[in-house]
Amino acid sequence: MSNAAAIRPGRPALPEWVRRLPEYLMIWVPLLLSAAHLVSFSLWTIWISFTPSTLIPVSGWVGLRNYSAVAASRNWQIAFDNLLLFGSAFVLLSLVTGLALAILLDQRIRGENVLRSVFLYPLAVSFVVTGTVWSWLLNPGLGIQKLVHDLGWTSFKFDWLIDRDMAIWTIVIAAIWQSSGFAMALFLAGLRSVDTDIIKAAQIDGAGPIRIYRRIILPSLWPITITVVVIQLQFAISTFDLVRALTNGGPGIATQLPALVVYDLMFQRSLLGRGAAAAVLMLLILLAVLLPYAAWRYVQRRRAAHA
Amino acid sequence: MPITTTRRRLLAGSAAALALPAFARAQGAVKPRLTAISQWSAGSDGAAITALGKKFEEKGGVWQHSPVPGFTTEMMNKLRAQIMAGDPPACSQLKGPEIAAWSKIAPTVDLDAVVAAAGYEKVVAPDLAKLHKPGGKWIALPLQIYSTNMLFLSKRAMDKAKADKVPVTWADFNDLADKMKAGGVPYPVANGGTRPDDGQKFEAALAGISPLAYRAAIMKLEKKALEGPEIKAAFAQVRKIADWMDPNVGAQHFSTNLKRFVDGDMGMMIMGGWAQGVLRNAGFKFEDFIIAPGPSDNSKPVFLLNADAFIFWQRKEPDLQAGQTLMAQLVMDPAIQTMYSQITGSIPVRTDVDLSGEGWSDGQRRTAAALKDAIASNQAVLSLAHNMAQENGMTAAMIDVITEYVKNKTIKPEQAATRLAEAVEGAR
Repeated sequence: MSNAAAIRPGRPALPEWVRRLPEYLMIWVPLLLSAAHLVSFSLWTIWISFTPSTLIPVSGWVGLRNYSAVAASRNWQIAFDNLLLFGSAFVLLSLVTGLALAILLDQRIRGENVLRSVFLYPLAVSFVVTGTVWSWLLNPGLGIQKLVHDLGWTSFKFDWLIDRDMAIWTIVIAAIWQSSGFAMALFLAGLRSVDTDIIKAAQIDGAGPIRIYRRIILPSLWPITITVVVIQLQFAISTFDLVRALTNGGPGIATQLPALVVYDLMFQRSLLGRGAAAAVLMLLILLAVLLPYAAWRYVQRRRAAHA
Repeated sequence: MPITTTRRRLLAGSAAALALPAFARAQGAVKPRLTAISQWSAGSDGAAITALGKKFEEKGGVWQHSPVPGFTTEMMNKLRAQIMAGDPPACSQLKGPEIAAWSKIAPTVDLDAVVAAAGYEKVVAPDLAKLHKPGGKWIALPLQIYSTNMLFLSKRAMDKAKADKVPVTWADFNDLADKMKAGGVPYPVANGGTRPDDGQKFEAALAGISPLAYRAAIMKLEKKALEGPEIKAAFAQVRKIADWMDPNVGAQHFSTNLKRFVDGDMGMMIMGGWAQGVLRNAGFKFEDFIIAPGPSDNSKPVFLLNADAFIFWQRKEPDLQAGQTLMAQLVMDPAIQTMYSQITGSIPVRTDVDLSGEGWSDGQRRTAAALKDAIASNQAVLSLAHNMAQENGMTAAMIDVITEYVKNKTIKPEQAATRLAEAVEGAR
């Protein structure tokens, strides 16, 4: 409408800002609202983490006492170690699985659409459902181990769910099942966007398929790889519902993760101050992933602008 | 400022118009109204509170109950939100030391007059009464009692062990478990894998070994008692129990394995009295199992108290105030307590209710008798696993140690005792 008014002859053109008002409104209002929401609640949480709040938020100042209490607790230490293990194993394995699936699907096979949906489907399932189903599958008395025993191989053992050293891997397994399809979809899109002329040129030069993948296709995938890594990492850091449904932090407290600790402190133990401190620590971990990513993006853009 | 004045007048006018019906009601007989929140939404708990609501309505009240299903803590989140918004329910579920903690963040109703009128104080266990009058005044009322350390015995497993004697002490218990194992019961102890389950194993062990040590260490958090030999002995007993449990249970709820328990695939279960209701609900008969007080080394019953209660929050509305009085009278009424406990499988708070009549089970009668004996011998103590002995933060810190110990067989009893004492220090 504003454009039409501007083109119509014989009328003074509306000022620039009036014509662009709808655009401004559409961009800035939601942006400001969500930023205000995000920032104000983050600041609020940071403030609470320095107060002696327990049942309800109260003012007061206890300095870093909540932080030292959280950092000294066994729950947090176990959760942090688990996060390192779970985060790296999950990201790496889902990357490898996703890439492998994408490459296999990229062979112009029949039924690709069906297979793609099958692999992507777990993503549509809620994490609570994934966790519950895998808790049955992995339970030695009900699931895979029992099945193999019933088939006759009675010495077979697969009891990671109740083994406190291995239980964290059951979460890795379930998380990979859930989200490697997502990595696959991104990689597949990447594979399809590689310039076919280059591939044809390589074929004419006599390069075999393995060499083409290794030297041409995979190197062009690395921006997508970084995107997948960052998305999966931030998922790993904030994992909550999956663990809650699968192991609920157990056996004992062997599969605690930071988000579980935050929830536990705030809502089970009614220690708002400590819970907020744990939440802020989680935010810091997240920033440790996101800031380098943002820096990398910035460098990339600068480089692209100069090229 | 003419505009402001008009706006103010308009506001005042509409407020008056809104308040008019309430005012008119207040002038005549106030119709008692009660806003209540609890976690009881389904099963026997839901049925019981619905029945209570019916009684409230029969007395001419308006019953407005909003259940928050799930764990107690989820109900607490709703309560917290309502209190912070300045709009607490007239009455809410809350129990144990949380009553004292929460009464500090919002004003509560002084129930002394209505409690005195009902002569209630002398029929309530003293330790229990104390929890409901934190500042010396009654602000909350207990509704029903469970013991968390009842011993459930599977008849079929007893047959397999060729045993018919109900174990009294922990030595008897261990003996019977060995016999069951030898008689072909794969898992002499039935269990779930949740945190309260693990906590119950420990509290049953410690209170059974020494109620005095339990009172000093767990309820009073005395340092000396926490480092005492009874704690180590209790952890050692818990290790025995854990070795007899099915490790595959993972994080399952205890009710998942009730069929295996009744079938004699699992032998004994240390669980709260509510398991009776769950077993009955699942269609099992009283002939399938025996209920007895949990093991006690001095042979006198030890009662680990868990009591549900209502706390009353101050409201200005006359109809809500009238509703609170009516609710308090109902909760203390022996007929109402009978109705409630018969639905849920608990026992009444009042120690003067006669349980010989129809509608009560042997298990409930035995539980009530155990409570009486335990009070007489000062062996009625407050449950840790069910948030009666300590506030949530302290409880959780202690259960962390216990649940890790149950699941990790490389931890020695001495180590666990040290960790428990450390956890208490850390959470203080």
